[in-house]
Amino acid sequence: MEETLRTGWLAVDFFTQSYRISGHVDVRQKSLADILNDSTTGFVRLEDAYVSPLDRPGEIVATYPAPHLVKANLTFAVVPHQEDALSRKQAYGRYLGTFLQQIFLTVPGFEIVGYLRLSARVDLRRVLTTEPNEFIAVLDGRVQASLRPDVTFTGGGILVNRRHIGVFCVVKEE
Amino acid sequence: MARILVIDDNTDLLQMIRLLLEERGGHEAILAAEGEDGLRKAMENPPDLAIVDIMMPGMNGYEVCRRLRQEPATADIPIIVLTARGQEIDRRTAMEAGADLHIPKPVTMSELLERVNELLARGKRQPAAPLGGTIAFLSLRGGVGTTTLAVNLSLLLAQQSEQKPCLIDLSPSSGNVALQLGLRPDPNWSALALLSTGIGAETIQTYLLSHPSGLRVLAAPFVPIVGEGLPRDKVLAALSALRHSFPLLVIDLPSILNEVTMAALENADTIALVTTADPASIQATIGTLQALKGFQEKIRLILNQPVSRQPVSRQALERIFRRPIDGLVPFDPAQAQALARGKPLAYTNPDAPLAKAVATLVPALQPVRRAAAP
Repeated sequence: MEETLRTGWLAVDFFTQSYRISGHVDVRQKSLADILNDSTTGFVRLEDAYVSPLDRPGEIVATYPAPHLVKANLTFAVVPHQEDALSRKQAYGRYLGTFLQQIFLTVPGFEIVGYLRLSARVDLRRVLTTEPNEFIAVLDGRVQASLRPDVTFTGGGILVNRRHIGVFCVVKEE
Repeated sequence: MARILVIDDNTDLLQMIRLLLEERGGHEAILAAEGEDGLRKAMENPPDLAIVDIMMPGMNGYEVCRRLRQEPATADIPIIVLTARGQEIDRRTAMEAGADLHIPKPVTMSELLERVNELLARGKRQPAAPLGGTIAFLSLRGGVGTTTLAVNLSLLLAQQSEQKPCLIDLSPSSGNVALQLGLRPDPNWSALALLSTGIGAETIQTYLLSHPSGLRVLAAPFVPIVGEGLPRDKVLAALSALRHSFPLLVIDLPSILNEVTMAALENADTIALVTTADPASIQATIGTLQALKGFQEKIRLILNQPVSRQPVSRQALERIFRRPIDGLVPFDPAQAQALARGKPLAYTNPDAPLAKAVATLVPALQPVRRAAAP
């Protein structure tokens, strides 16, 4: 009875430019990162979605049993644990030769700080240009609403849609 | 054995929690897969505690909490919100809806049972007692919003109760309580220093200002006082006289630990120590906590956010101060205008974030009740 109350459904907070949509994604076959970065489909299916407008992000204004979200319109997604934000390949291996780089980035309405897990040889500019994945994993991330600094979201991982990034900065360690 | 109502649309989870509560906890579990069904069961036979999920189709968990709190039969039962919505904003929303505890999923079975038993041991919710006694607001760093919080709390309480509080501005250097309230600081306490007779309950009334809310104010002089200001014995006499007429005194203290401040702190039932997340304020707060070690029991640490950016998180500040933060007041862009117009938000716009946050400070500012001497 020491088990944690977890199933094959992952609780995720998705954000568009106007809404927060909380729901569950089936991650029994693929991790959320793999689902979002799967270029063969433009949608992600949610189970039991609860919608909050971003000006009242704690309030639930609508509920839908099985909506589809358009990946291209998602700004970012917040997941509780780091491994939920990594692809299965990353989550279960390749720890050697990687390092964490602190970054700061902006997407419409939000500022995000956290860490990128990179291989030592990677050029950071590649993250925004030639990186094949649409959603990049920001680990131990903290999101702050630009106009409401009291509204923050934290997660072991934040999957950020590269196409919505406005500013991308590497934070130099002091 | 306690009767525990569990409301969650995930039937597998319901069964797991039932096993946990009944087999390991020795409690009786009443299960409901929908908010409406849970409410009906709660009304039929009120449980000792309720565990409520938030994300449920139909009536969501926040609404369930609100309804439970509205019904006299269930208004006092402890409520645990167990939800995948685990962000700080969700915790605040759950608490505003009436929850006692917010536990994000996933949670271990042991932790859940531990929290259930803790809450059961705490017993039924006690309705918040009206604030009474003396609350002193202090920060040794100026500009952190101490006066703003003292003024807004006083106004809030003045509007909530027939028995109005009295707000006292003890700053010797042009205190701005009267300014924030849009009042002219005449009379003020400067003449009290010149009184050769004692300060009685009737005498002190002639030195008080009246705000339209019913709040009475002992204002500081507009012109800064050269020297110490009101002597210690006069401060003690004034506080004693005011205590005869008012159930609650709120004191706005100067940013210095002089004789007057110490006299007020000794007489206060609760000390609201106000801090912000900027380095100078953090340093001042660490120093104040050390200097006021003897008052530890009655200090409540209030984190105010007078600017839009908070460079250090609440958790980091709690680590720095080595104690929990008892209350949080977020940045409210409307405050600057309220200050300029002499119309505090707690009086003109109770729905403003600052006014709402000040209302949440009330339970934290309750004085520690000491056991009566045998």
